[in-house]
Order: sequence, then structure tokens, then C-alpha cells
Amino acid sequence: MTITVDPITLEVVCEGLISIVREMRASIIRASYSPAIYELDDFSCAMFNARAEMVAQSEDHPGHVIPMPWSVRCAMEDFEGDINPGDIIVLNDSYRGGTHLNDVTLLFPVFEDGELVLFPAVRSHWADVGGMTPGSYSGLATSIFQEGLRIPPIKLYEAGQPNKAVMALIETNMRLPEHRIGDLKAMVGACRIAEQRLRAMFGKYGLGTVVECVRLNLDRCEARMRERIAELPDGTYEHEDYLEYYDDGHFDPVLMRLALTVAGDEVTADFAGSNPQVPGVVNSSLAVAGAGVFVALKATLDPGGTVNQGVFRPIHLKAPEASIVDVKPDAPAGAHGEVRKRAVSVMLGCLAQIVPEKVSGDLSGTSFPNSMGGYDRKRNRNFVFLEAPAGGNGGFAGNDGSSAFMNVDFGNIRSIHTAEQLENEMPVLVERSALRADSGGAGKTRGGLGLDRKIRLLDGEAVYSVQSDRAVIPPFGVLGGMHADPVRVAVSEGGQEEALKVPGKATGRNLRAGQAVVMQSAGGGGYGDPLARDPERVASDVAVGYVSADAAKTEYGVVLDRFGEVDEMATRTVRGVRKKSITQLPVADDETPSYSGIRGRQRRLRLPPVTVRELGLDDGDLIEMIGIHAVPLRAWVKVDRDAPAGVAPLDNFARRVLGLKAGDQVTLRLLPTLLRPGQKT
Amino acid sequence: MRMIGVDVGGTFTDAVIYDRESGQLQWSKASTTPAQPADGVLAAIDGGDAGLADVVRFVHGTTIGTNAFLERKGTPVWMVTTEGFGDTLEIARTNRTVLYDITTLKAPPLVDRRKVFEVKERLYADGSVAQALDTRRIATIAERLKQKEPAALAVCFLHSYAQPRHEAEAVDMLRAALPGWFISASADVLPEMREYERFNTTALNCYIGPVTAGYLEALAGKLGARGYQASVFIMISSGGIVTAERASRYPVQTVLSGPAGGVAAAQHFGGLLGLENLITYDMGGTSTDVCLIRDLRAPVTTDQYIEEYPVRTPQIDIHTVGAGGGSIAWVDSGDILKVGPKSAGANPGPASYGRGGKEPTVTDANLLLGRLSDDLKLAQSFALQRPPAEAAIERVTERFPDLDPLEAAEGVIKIAIARMVSAIKEISVSRGYDPRDFVLVAYGGAGPLHAALIAQEFDMTHVLVPPSPGNFSAFGALISDVRHEHVRTHVADLSETETATLETRFAEIETRAVADMEAEGIARQNITTSRSTGMRYVGQSWDLIVPLPRKPGSIGELGQWFHGQHQRRFGYQMDGGIEIVSLRVSATGEVEKPQMPRWSEDGDPEDAFKGRRLVKFEGKMHEAAVYDRDLLPKDAQVRGAAIIEEMGSVTVVPPHWTAEVGAYGELHLRSTS
Repeated sequence: MTITVDPITLEVVCEGLISIVREMRASIIRASYSPAIYELDDFSCAMFNARAEMVAQSEDHPGHVIPMPWSVRCAMEDFEGDINPGDIIVLNDSYRGGTHLNDVTLLFPVFEDGELVLFPAVRSHWADVGGMTPGSYSGLATSIFQEGLRIPPIKLYEAGQPNKAVMALIETNMRLPEHRIGDLKAMVGACRIAEQRLRAMFGKYGLGTVVECVRLNLDRCEARMRERIAELPDGTYEHEDYLEYYDDGHFDPVLMRLALTVAGDEVTADFAGSNPQVPGVVNSSLAVAGAGVFVALKATLDPGGTVNQGVFRPIHLKAPEASIVDVKPDAPAGAHGEVRKRAVSVMLGCLAQIVPEKVSGDLSGTSFPNSMGGYDRKRNRNFVFLEAPAGGNGGFAGNDGSSAFMNVDFGNIRSIHTAEQLENEMPVLVERSALRADSGGAGKTRGGLGLDRKIRLLDGEAVYSVQSDRAVIPPFGVLGGMHADPVRVAVSEGGQEEALKVPGKATGRNLRAGQAVVMQSAGGGGYGDPLARDPERVASDVAVGYVSADAAKTEYGVVLDRFGEVDEMATRTVRGVRKKSITQLPVADDETPSYSGIRGRQRRLRLPPVTVRELGLDDGDLIEMIGIHAVPLRAWVKVDRDAPAGVAPLDNFARRVLGLKAGDQVTLRLLPTLLRPGQKT
Repeated sequence: MRMIGVDVGGTFTDAVIYDRESGQLQWSKASTTPAQPADGVLAAIDGGDAGLADVVRFVHGTTIGTNAFLERKGTPVWMVTTEGFGDTLEIARTNRTVLYDITTLKAPPLVDRRKVFEVKERLYADGSVAQALDTRRIATIAERLKQKEPAALAVCFLHSYAQPRHEAEAVDMLRAALPGWFISASADVLPEMREYERFNTTALNCYIGPVTAGYLEALAGKLGARGYQASVFIMISSGGIVTAERASRYPVQTVLSGPAGGVAAAQHFGGLLGLENLITYDMGGTSTDVCLIRDLRAPVTTDQYIEEYPVRTPQIDIHTVGAGGGSIAWVDSGDILKVGPKSAGANPGPASYGRGGKEPTVTDANLLLGRLSDDLKLAQSFALQRPPAEAAIERVTERFPDLDPLEAAEGVIKIAIARMVSAIKEISVSRGYDPRDFVLVAYGGAGPLHAALIAQEFDMTHVLVPPSPGNFSAFGALISDVRHEHVRTHVADLSETETATLETRFAEIETRAVADMEAEGIARQNITTSRSTGMRYVGQSWDLIVPLPRKPGSIGELGQWFHGQHQRRFGYQMDGGIEIVSLRVSATGEVEKPQMPRWSEDGDPEDAFKGRRLVKFEGKMHEAAVYDRDLLPKDAQVRGAAIIEEMGSVTVVPPHWTAEVGAYGELHLRSTS
């Protein structure tokens, strides 16, 4: 029997499924115990069909929901033929579609007429899942066992009966166990509400009609995505970027490389050439890297379109096994936020070559989770603090990037707590919560600013952990825009600030009462040449305090008089000089292996001592190279006596990324170099 | 002896006058007078010159504050805040409400960063002092602000909900030094935790404060001069009414005051007709408000936003879009035709008002399509004019040479309707309700013009147009009771709480609540109070507001009550401890309400027939019959395409719809396809 569906019913059913997801969300926010869930909305809900396809979601975190179908598929494979009414499945395995271990996923099969048709699932960030530090964020972990309890797909409920052994195992291996059970119940409760709503919907419209609506909806969303992809010119576009890994304390960035191929109405994102996985928190699954690919693609092509499995169909992913983008046991896998965001960065790099008018400068580039845990003597209980101060967004064709605003790969998540909420729940005092002046990348349109938060421990002791990236290698600008300020973290006591030994990373660092953590998130990259920015806008930025008068001159070439007005003559002079002082070298073909590192792989630009001296560079300096394409390519200077003088030797990949051939001029820009490759922290 | 309800919209001021002796309701209307809105109010009542000595209650709904915000015509706000927190409004909560779009921008802060002063002072969470208030700095700030044009000032310190002393001290100094400034303390506006939400609510209170307070003062003066002796009452967003004095201090509580009146009226009217599930659709000149009423109950929320800005005072859960009859149609740089949010307002008003408006509006488009007519007086004073509307629509056809003026006009209406449809989706489909299970209640001057067309989009088959739809919100103001909400933060473990202690605390709040209300002129026997508590399981952050029976039983019963509510709302309950977070008392002062008069059964529908005119629907011209609504008797039936005209509003009955007159004169539009 074929079912025909009228357009109103189609809208009502599809919107109805989304509104069930919304209702689940509302229920979870109000009933959960983890602050990350109830204050920050760090969780996602979705509806799946029996083929493990995601059929509905709402304002859910892209970083959660897009990898979720991989988990659902793994669970359904494991339990093939053995999923029964009343079963509830729980998992958090990072190697099998999970994100980080903190994100616990619950599947709630719903049977109608004896058949599994549609069912709700929830992925929530639990404040703690065990592991080496409170909050389970371990920026310096070397294996997954340090990151928490790993749960493969198992049945939490079997035929309606809770599995007490599973509950006991969870309770025993996590901090604040009673809260974990509360979080779990909130997830189950939300799914029960969804079950009731689903049954009402089946009753009202008929199971067959609902299933047909879902099918039509997935197909039409797929078609819409295919149309948008087909508008892009066919071809392969490449880019590369890094994550900050430390090998036994030595700075050793790992390489993420992407070739994006557009062929007709499909795309393939191939991460071939990316770094093998390493014993550090810079690895994640292909499900996660794929989320970055999808977000960047959708943000560029079709921001307004619905997200469900249909839109994933024309997108194919490839990656080398056991690499930083396809992690295998037992490497740490907690860097889901960083791997996803770097995948967005390399996607922006590729897309900037095709549609520069639609991309932005790089995003702040790290999720920046900070956690602090200890015992609260006043309230007689443990506390776990978690927040991930949002950074800046990249400038784009139409506007400056927003400041302290969640990047596009994040959901509608609040990255910080209100000071009042925090101080009511734990022994801390928020001393400062401000925008970080000058942190946005300069450009014709400016990158947004990062945040500057300072939080003091008032009583007792605590351990502090932070896991970030972009703390050494800064977010990049595009179309000549400048890089942003990287993440900075310091511990402050008695007016003295001491930056973390390993930039942006700490595991279980002890804090005493009176010490404060200073968390400064990265800015967004600039868009376009800062010397082309309207001087009046620069003056206004200075007046408001987003940009200092110094930076107005050094970055934008804008000179202000003592009233803050633009000194037009001085500005013209400074800008004129700045335009002439650009460093360029002719490109030479060179297929000498370009990468080196301990476990990591970093691009080196080989230059002889004479050229290095002429350019005022040093061995190990971080530079960016700019060609005719919109994005820069980063490399570290390597002094090599055998290198040819006065040219930039580039391999074929680099020349393709930059759009240059031998003899063309490549522009070089020196970046702040906090650490050199191989340097011990 | 009379009672008067008046609703000031962006374009029209509507009045309802109830004469207790005759039992008659009288409806009237005048243009809103933005420069001196009180003049419009007086004009709407008896043309403005009658004495008001016999009036026992004057109730007022006003969207003046809302419009000032939506059109960004409020007063510049300065802010004094705790050192280290000057960027609180700009940082906001860092969340992005639009996913997957790199060009999304964060909403700009309500207070310019250059207008923020940081002050050394700090409280701990329990309200104890970590750092004393730097009063010298306050004095310096006062000196600096004295040099400026008087404006508004928000004083927002951390943890002031727990201990308001620092804020109060700063406010005292600043008020003394800055006469003519509108100054609010955050804990006075919203004594609740979470600084971003409280500061933002306070900043909004300030932004619309001077406009609202200045207006209410002028109004009270003018009414007093006519002999009105009682308090002027103002409709607030949570559905009750308060005195003008209170509304002037907390204008943010009136942000959805006008629409709240309409919702109250819809509940009342639905009750009379036995219709319990309603979607209200209130379209005025400037904006449109929609609300979903289920089982005759309108949802109240504290989790509300105006645009992207949180407003945490309790309000009826109403969804607002900036599109009304006066909304201007324009073409953006991408050659996309848009409608609103800019409105022509009351002055100059739509081009067809003939007051110098040059830009095409929704009203102009309706006139060109024949749905409105140039021989009908929209208010008492003037009729629409066709030539300026024709000239205005050329602004659209110039950009789209392929469109003829009528096609352009129909496009303008379609875009406006799409915005209404998505607003209604937001409160129905998005929350799990099928609009087909609801009756669409259309009011506001422009509601009945578009209601059936909107209903068609949802396959809704029943549209209700109350009598005098343009004055419906004003009627709601007349039937609303006085209401005050009292909240006390009271964090305590339930198991360690004595029943008697709780009873004592509640009794204290109730005593205060009753006294407050008596002070506003409500007789003791008309005052009732109801209790609720915010409760949660220990460890949870958000509390569930649980209404309590009149006299609470034991603490054990309270616990059971909470478990049950939690189970119903969230689908589970816990074994763990329960915490009380807040004690809430809602005081209601019951007022005398008018009786809805029955509609005449006499008369001949033929007498109501005014003729026919060409009206365009879906690209086709139809010979529509035109009726005078006032002359259509009860049970009269009208077949679409038809136009039913009355003073202040026009009901469009599209092809394949019928209209029938009900017992109170309301129109029931029903789809026949």
C-alpha cells in the first residue's frame, strides 16, 4: 500500500518530531545535576530510525549530534536481533562514534506494533566520568584509561528492568556518583516523555504516515544539500593545519591534512597524510572530524537548511587508520572539540580557495574546557567546576566577527557560568569577566575578541585541569587578515601571574586557597588587509576599547591624535611605509621531504643562513606564507646550509595550497613564536 | 458609574467603556499620538471632553515601552557595576542561537561599553561584604554624569538579590545628585540570582523607563483634571493590573502589557463560548502577538526574551513579531522583498493615511487589493486615501519591474502572513501542538483582515473574531484583577524545615502582600493570596515552581507533592533530599467585571449589505459582497468572498469561507473547502 502525504501533514509531522526533541531538551535542562548540562546546555537530543539514521534534532550541539549516528549504528550492530521493548542502551566509547568520554549517550528503543521504528537518544556531558582528574579533562593524558570510564554499548535496562550491575559500576567509577545517577535518570526521563509523544503521534497520524513523512523529509533534505554542492566547481582543494602535541614535554605539533574533492553533487573529505595517532590529547574519531567537515560545509553552503541524515548522504569521509582523525585503542581520545575545530579550520582553508566571499577568518579554534575540583568544606561536599570560555569569531565579508561568542561548530551552548551561580555552589570568587582587548585578528573586518576570566579559589585546595589548543599556533586570518591572539592560561597569586608551563594544558595542577586561575580565550582571525580597514572604524574600536591605540598603529597603520580622532596625514604615511615593507621571496620547486618532528609532523621552510639573516628570522620561527589563495600556509623556519639562497623552496602540496608556481612571489609573515619545534617546556 | 479600559497601540488607541447602570459596553478609538500619547487616550474616551468623576476604575494597557524598545527609541542607558564585570551585558552568555552560520552576529549590548562605570565593591554569595562600596567613586561618577543630558542609569552589583544594601546606597547617592534621571537598582527590579539576566532586565527597565514613567505621569495628571479620583491601573505582562506608580518604577513588567490584555480577554470570551483551546492572533499597527491557550489557561513564564535579550519578570508566554498594519515593505540589497520590522507608526502612518507617509505598508497593500476601502473611516477622524498608497507601492514595482502594483501588493501581504505563520508555528507546532486542534482568535485592528488567510496555511477551520476586535485588548484590561507577585529567596533543606517555620514565613509575606494591595485601594475582602514554592532536588540548579494548596500540610506532604510534580513534568523522581529555594506569594485583588451584552437578534442581513467591490485573492479578482458588521443580526450568515466592515477593523472572508454571527456579536469564520 502506498501512502500519500499532504504537504501540511508532512510539515506538521516533521516539525512535530523536532518539537519532541525540543521538549526532551527542556526536560533535561531542568532536571539534570551536571552544571555543564543545566547551566551550559552541553547536551543534545535526537530522534533516530531503525536504520540508525538521525531523523530529527533541534538546537542541538553539532559536535554531539553529527557523530551520534555512528554510535547508534555501533550499538545496533552489537545488539542486532537482540533489541527488545523495555531495553535502554548506554555508551560513551570514543572509538565507536563517541566524542569524549564525558559525553554519555543513551538510546531508548520504542516499539510500535512489535516493530522498532523511531526512537529518541540523548548525549549529555557529565561533569565527571572518572579518570585521573576531577572533571575528567586531562590535557596531558597519554592513554584513554586516564580519561575516565569507557562504556561500550551495554544495556542499562533489559525488558524494563534496570541492570543494577551497570548502575553500580558507573556509581563506583565516577566522582559525585549520586549526581551521575541523577543525570542518567534525567536522560531516561526525557526519553520517556519522548516515547509518550511518539506514541501519540503514531496514534494520530498512523505509523505508516509518520514513517513516510520521515522518508520524504530525509530525501528532500538530501536533495537540497546536493543542489548546493553542485553549485561548487568540481576539483580537489587542499589545506593543512596543526594540533599542539607535546612528546614527553617537547613541543611537537601534529599535522592535520585535508583534500576536499567536489565531484558533481557529492564531496569527499580525505584526511590522507594526517599524523598517525600519538599518546596525547590530540586524537579523535572520524565521526568527530567528519562533524567538523559537515559544519564548515553547511555553514558555507546552506546555513538555514534542516540537519538530518539526509544532508549527510552526499558527504564521504576517508582517513588513515590509527591517525589523529581516526583514533584506535588505547590512545587518548578526549580532544573531540579540538579535532572537530581543526577540521573546521582545514575546511575553511579549502573552501576559501573556492568561495572566499563566504568564509571567515579562522575561529578561536579550541573548546578550551577548564575544570577545577575539590572539597567544599562549607557545604560538605565535593565540587567540580567546568567552563569553556568562548573565544572570538573570524571576521567575514559583511562584518567583524563577534566577540566571546560560541563558534559555528558549537550548539546553542553557554560557555560560562554566571558568577553568582558559581559562587553560590562552590568556594570560588569570580574576580574578572571581561573582553580581551587586542585579541581579535586585525583585518579589513576584524576578528572578534576572546574572553578574560579570573577565578579565585577561596577555601581549601583544588586541582585544576585545562585542555586547549591554539595556545601556541594562533588562529589564522584570511585574504591578508592577521592572526588572532592564542589562548593563554595563568595561575595568579598575590598580584603575580605565572603562565602554565605547557601553554594551555594542565592535568591536575594543585591550587591553594587564594590562588586564581586566569583563563583567556583566543580571538578570531581577521578578514582582508588591515591596512584597508576604514580608519574611522579603527578609531571607534579604540574609543570603545576593543583595540589599543598602539595596535591601531602597528596592526592597522592608523594614527590617532590626542582626542582619539584619526590623524589622516600620519595614517597615510604609516600605511604607505607598511605596504612597501612586505617580505617576499620567489618560489622554487623542491621535493625534499618537507615535514619533520618527533611523533608529530611539522612543515619546515628550509632557508640558508644568509637568507635567514637577511629576513631577520631565526631557526624554529613560526611563519605563515601567503600566495594567491585566501589562506596562509604555516611552517617553521629550518636553517639549512644546503638550501638555495634567496628563494622559498616549496613542495607540490604547498604550491597547490598557495596557488603558486616556481618563480612566483610568496609573502612571508613572522608569527609570535612561543615555542619552537622540539623545545622542552 | 463607569469603568474604562484603554489600550494604547503603536497606531491606534482603543477604549472600552462599561456603564454599570445601562449594562452597555461602548467601544471607541482614536489615533495614537506618539508625542503626547495621553492626548490619544483622552480622545478615545468620549472624544476627550467628558468629565470622569463617575469613573470608578480606569485601566490601561500600553505597548509604549515595548515599542520604544522594538523601534530603538528608548533612553540611552548608563550603567554602574561591580569592578571586573563591566562587560557582563556584552559578553552575555556567549551562546549562539543561530547554528551553522558564520555570519551570525551576537546581539549588541543594551548599554554601550563607553557608558559603563566599574566600581570597587563586592559581596559574597551569602550577602556578606567582601569589599566595601567605594562611595567616593560613586560621587565622581555622579559628577561626570551631571555634565550629561539626563538619561537612564542602571545600578547593577553582584549578589544584590541576597543583600541590596550596596545598590541601595549607590542609588541614593546618584538619585540625590542626578535629578531628572531614571535610576533603577537591579535587586529592586528583579531580586533573583544570575547577574547577566538580572542586569539585562534592569537595563531594559531603564531603557524604556523614562518613556513609560513620563507618559503615565502625564496621563494621571490629565485624568485627574477631568475629575478621575481613583488610581490609574496598568496592565502588566503577567496578566494582572497594578497602579501607575508601581508600573512607572518597574516598566519592564509592562513590556507585554498590551498583549496580556488581549489574552485575558480571549480567555474570558472563550469561557463564555465554551471554546477552551485557542490561538490568539493580535495584529496591531506595529507588531503582532500570538499566544496559545489550552484548557483556557494561558502559560506564564519567567524564561522570556525580547528579541535576543532575556527579561526574567513573570509574563504570559506571548510570542511577538515586529510586523503590523503599519509595517513598511522594503527591498533589501539582495533584491528580496521584506516587510517590517520598521513601522510607519501613527505619524505619519501608512501612506494611505495621507499624512505624508511615502513608504508602502501592509495597510496600503490591503487598500490596493480592495480588502480595505477608501470610504471607510478607520478611526473616528479620517478615511484612507488611495493615491498616496499607489504612489508608495511604486517603490516596490520600481525595483521589480515585472510586477504590476496589485501583484506587488499581494506579495507584501504574503510576506507579512509568512511572518505571522512562523510566529504561530513557534508557539504551537514547535511545542508539540497541532494548530488544527485550536480556534484562531483574531483581534487587533489588522487581525481579522488576515486571519482566515493564516488559518488556511495551517488547515485550521475555525476563526473567531470577537466584537470590536480593535478594542479587544482594552476589554481585557477591564476584566483583569489586580495582581502582585512577591518572591523571597529562601534556601533550605526540606527535611530540616519545620512546618511551622514555613507557615510563619509565608504568613509574613502574605501580610505584606495584603497590606501592599490595600495601600493601592483594594478592599480587604476582595484580596486573595496563593502560595507556591520553588523546589528542587539537592544538587539540581533550576527549581520547579510548585503551587501549594491554601494551607500547606506537613513537610512530608510537601515533599510528596514535589515528587509528584517532578514526575509529571520531567518523567522521573529521585530518592535524594529536596531543597526549598524560594517562597512565592501571588496576591489577587478581585475587581468588578462588566457583563458581556447579548447581540441583537433583530434585523435583516440585507440591511447590512453595502454593495460589492473587486477584491484580489490569489491573483484573481472576486466580486466581494461588503457588509456593515453592526447591522448583521445574530445567526446571520455571509459567504466569501466578502468583506465585513466596522469602525476600527475589517474582517476578510476569503473565497471558500463563511462567516456567521454568534450570540455576543462575534463572527465565526469557517472553512468550507
